[in-house]
Amino acid sequence: MSYYFTILSPTDTPLFNIAFGTSKGGGDGIARFRFPETAQYMNQFIIHSSLDILEEAQWTNGGMYLKHIDTYPPAAAYITAFLTPSGARFLLLHQPPHLPSSTSISSGLGSSSLLGTAGSTTRASSSSIAANPTSPQTEEAVRQFMNEVYESYVKTAMSPFYKQGMEIKSPVFRTRVTAAGKKWL
Amino acid sequence: MTSPGDAAPVKPPPSFSPGVARVASTSPSRYPGEHETTQSLDAELAESQSVSSPTPLSGTIADLPIRPGSSHSRSGRSSTPQLARSSIGSPFDGRSDGSEDIRSSIIRSFSPTIAVHASEDTDDLVRNKGFKGGFWELIRPFGETVSGKVVIRDSIGSSRAWEDYGVRLADFKGIGRAPASRDSGPLAQMEEVLTKQLDSSNGMLGASVRTKDVLGFPATTPLCKSFLQQLLCSAPTAPHETFGHPVANVIAISSRNAAPLETLRQLYADGTTGDKQLPDWVNQEYLRYYVLVHDEERDDITESIKLYDQMKRHFGLHCHLLRLRSSQCVVTDDDSMQLPQCEWLSPLEHLSGAEALVDLGTDGTPYLFGSDATAIRAFIRELVVQSVIPFMENKVAVWNDQVASRRRGISGRFMSMSRRWAGFGSSSRSSIGGSSGGNSGNYDTTQHSYSPDSPEAVLRKMADYAFMLRDWKLAASTYDMIRSDYGNDKAWKYHAGAHEMCAVSMLLNPLATSAKIKLESVDQMFETACYSYLTRCSDATHALRCLSLAVELLKSRGGSATESAAKWAMRVMDFGLVGSVGQILYTERVAACYASKTAVGAAKWGGRRRKAGMWSTLAADQWLKAGQPTLASACLEEAERLYADVLQANGAFPMAEMQSFVDNLRHAVKVEYLEARGFDARDEPTSEDPLGTEETSEKLDMRHHRRSLVGPPVQLDAGGLDTTQGPLDPKSPPNDDFEQA
Repeated sequence: MSYYFTILSPTDTPLFNIAFGTSKGGGDGIARFRFPETAQYMNQFIIHSSLDILEEAQWTNGGMYLKHIDTYPPAAAYITAFLTPSGARFLLLHQPPHLPSSTSISSGLGSSSLLGTAGSTTRASSSSIAANPTSPQTEEAVRQFMNEVYESYVKTAMSPFYKQGMEIKSPVFRTRVTAAGKKWL
Repeated sequence: MTSPGDAAPVKPPPSFSPGVARVASTSPSRYPGEHETTQSLDAELAESQSVSSPTPLSGTIADLPIRPGSSHSRSGRSSTPQLARSSIGSPFDGRSDGSEDIRSSIIRSFSPTIAVHASEDTDDLVRNKGFKGGFWELIRPFGETVSGKVVIRDSIGSSRAWEDYGVRLADFKGIGRAPASRDSGPLAQMEEVLTKQLDSSNGMLGASVRTKDVLGFPATTPLCKSFLQQLLCSAPTAPHETFGHPVANVIAISSRNAAPLETLRQLYADGTTGDKQLPDWVNQEYLRYYVLVHDEERDDITESIKLYDQMKRHFGLHCHLLRLRSSQCVVTDDDSMQLPQCEWLSPLEHLSGAEALVDLGTDGTPYLFGSDATAIRAFIRELVVQSVIPFMENKVAVWNDQVASRRRGISGRFMSMSRRWAGFGSSSRSSIGGSSGGNSGNYDTTQHSYSPDSPEAVLRKMADYAFMLRDWKLAASTYDMIRSDYGNDKAWKYHAGAHEMCAVSMLLNPLATSAKIKLESVDQMFETACYSYLTRCSDATHALRCLSLAVELLKSRGGSATESAAKWAMRVMDFGLVGSVGQILYTERVAACYASKTAVGAAKWGGRRRKAGMWSTLAADQWLKAGQPTLASACLEEAERLYADVLQANGAFPMAEMQSFVDNLRHAVKVEYLEARGFDARDEPTSEDPLGTEETSEKLDMRHHRRSLVGPPVQLDAGGLDTTQGPLDPKSPPNDDFEQA
C-alpha cells in the first residue's frame, strides 16, 4: 500500500502533503505509486477530482470520518476523507501495490479479473489492514490514523504563530503524521 | 386503438397527389417530366386493366403510400421525434443535449435486416448503370432511411410514428458467412479505421472538430460517433442474436429475363437448398418479397405489367414493380444525384472503401438519376410499411400468444422449474416445443446454438423483433423471462446476449423513468453479460459493444446513472478491449459522462466538474502523445471550461504539481499545434515568456470559445500561502449565488 495524505483548506488550497508507504508486513515505509516517476501529479489530480464526491458526501454523512468516498479505477486509487469542524479536509489516497499478475491492462482480452480491485492475496497480511482497501479493517485503521492526525492538527493550529489557511510547515507535525502512519497504516 | 393519435389511417387510400408532391420536393427540376410520366403511366394502367388484368394496379405500381400529414414533415434525416409518441406526451420533450443523437443512432443500429437476392440479369442491368456491386449496392443506402413516418403498433395496440426508421439491406450471399479475407478481428480493423481517419483529417479537423451545443455539454466528437457506429455494425451474424438474421428476403428479377417465373422459383429455392442457403440456425420463416425491375429504356412497359400481374397472381401482395433507367448517369446529366452515403458501414467496408477512394483519386460514389432515386425510395417505403412491418407485428403477436404466454403462465413457470431439477416433467415439456429430455434441453452443445424452432430460440427472436419494432417494454420483459433459461442450459452466448439486450431495452424504454427502473439491476445485467461474453466466450467484439451501449445509454439517462456510465467506460479501458486510439476516445467519453452530470440545487453540489476536467486533461495529454495537437487542444479547452466553475477566479489550480503539469501541457500543445501548421513556434519572441501565459491566450485566439480561464498563473509558491481567503464554510461554492437561487 502506498499512501498520499493531504490537508485541504476550505478553499481547496493544500495545507500539507505527505507521501508514505506502508510499514506493516515488512513494508519499508516508502511510497511506490503505480504512476511513473514523472507522473506524480496524478495523485493531486485524483485528490482534486474526489472533491466533487466529497462535497456531496459531506451533506449526507453525519460523521466527521467519511470513510471511503471515491475510487479512481484505472490506478486502483482509493480516497478516504475526514472533515474537521473548521472546514479543513483530510484526504488520504491509498493504493494497493501493483500486482503484475492480477491486472492485465494492455495484454489480455478476457483474461482479466472481473472482480477488479481486490485480489491481492499474495501479501501475508499479519497487519491490521487487509489488502482490500475497502475492507472494514482498513476503514478502521484509517479512522485511527485520521483521529491521531486530527489531534496533532488541532495542536498545530492552536499555535500562536499559525494563522488559519497557512501552509503547515511545522516539522513536529510532519513527524507526528509520519508516526501515525507507521502506527496504523 | 383508443388514443387520438391513432386517427391517422394506417392504410391510406392510394392517391397520386402526395407522390407528385414528394417528387417535386426531392427534385424540383424534374417536376414536369415526372408529372407526365405518372400521367402516362396512369393511361397505360387504364389500358392494361382493360386488356388483361382485373387487379387494380394503381394501388401498387405508382402508389407512394405517404400518410396524410407526413409529406411536409420529411426534411432529410430527422431523428428528433424519435421518442415522440402520437398518443402520449414524450417525457423527453425539450431535452436535446446531443445524447439524443447517440440514442437515435443506437436505436437505428438495431434495425431489421432484409436480405437482397437478385438474379444475374438484374445485377447486369444495375452494373450497366455503374454500380459494380449490383442491385444490392444500388438500393442499400436508401434502406437506411425510410422516407416519411413509419407507424408501428406495439403489443398493447397503441401506435407510434417514427421518423427515423430504417432497415438494413444485406446481400443475401453474405449473410451468415464470415468475410473470407479477415486477417484481423473487427476490433483491430476498427482501430485501423480510426488511425486512418485521424491521418486523413489531420489539419482539417480544426475548430469544427468539436461542436458545442447550446446547453454547453460536450457534444460527441464525430470520431467517437463513427467509432460507435462501426462497433454497432461490426458484430457478425451469430446464432445467439437475430438482429442480423433476415426478416425478409427481397427476390429481384428484371424485365430482361427470358424465363421470369422459373428464375423466381430458382431464387426462392436458393434460400432453402443448395450452397447459398442460410446457416441452419437461421429461422426460415422470413418474408419473401418479389421485385420486378423494369428497364425503362429498353423494354416495353406493357410486357412488364403483364408479367407483374402474373407475379401478383402467383405470389400475392408482396410484390413490387421497380422502374429504373438502364443507362449510366454522369454528373453532367440533368437530373443526376450522387448515391447517398451509407451510414452503417462495417470496419472492413470502411477500410476497403478508403482504399478505393485512394485508387480513384476522386470521389468514387456513382451517380444515378433523380427519377430512379425516387422510385427506389418509394419501393423501400412500400416494402417496409406495407410488408415488413405488418409481417413483424404479426409474428410478434403470434409468438407472444403461442409461445411466450404459455411460458409466462403458471404452468410455464412450473415447467421451467421442473427443468431445472430435471428428471420429471419431460413429457409435458415436450408438448411446448417438441424438445427432448435431458438437462441441456434444446441446446446443441456442439453447434453452440438452439435449433430455430425451439421455444428458446423463438422467444429470443420474438424479443428481437419487438426490439426492432421499438416496443422495448415487451422486449425487456421477454428477455427478462428467458435470460435465466439460457444460464441453466449453459448457453453462455445466448445468456450474455439476453442480459445485454434486457438491460438495453430497459434503458431505452422512454416511459420507465429513472426512478422506476432499478439501476442496480441494470448494472448487474451488464456485469453478467460482460462476464459471459469475455470470460466464458472470449468474444471481445460483443463485450465491447455491450459496454459501449451501457456507457452511452446510462449517460443519456442522466442523474446518478452517469456515474455508472463512467464506471463502464473505465472498465472498457481496463479490459484493454480497445487499442491506443480507442483508449483516448474512451478517456474522452469518461469526461463527457462526468460533464453531463450537472449540479442541482442552490448549493450546487452533485456536479462532477473536477472529475470531468481531470479526464479531459488526461485525454489532451494522450492526444498530444499520439501526435494529434489539434484534438489535444480541443480537449484542453474543454477541460478549462469544465474547471471554470470549480477553480478560483484567477483560474489557477490550488495544487502546485497540477498547475505545472497543466502549464507544461498547454505549452507543448501550442508548440506542436503551430509546428503542425507549419510555423516554427520557437521563432516567435513572445512565446519565450517563461510563464507561458501569452502562448495560451494566443492559442485560444483561433477558436470561438475564447474565454481564457488560465489567466496569469499565480506565483506557484503563493498558492499554498494564500491568506487572502478567509475561513469559509466548507462547502464554499466558488461562485456564490447561494442567496439568489
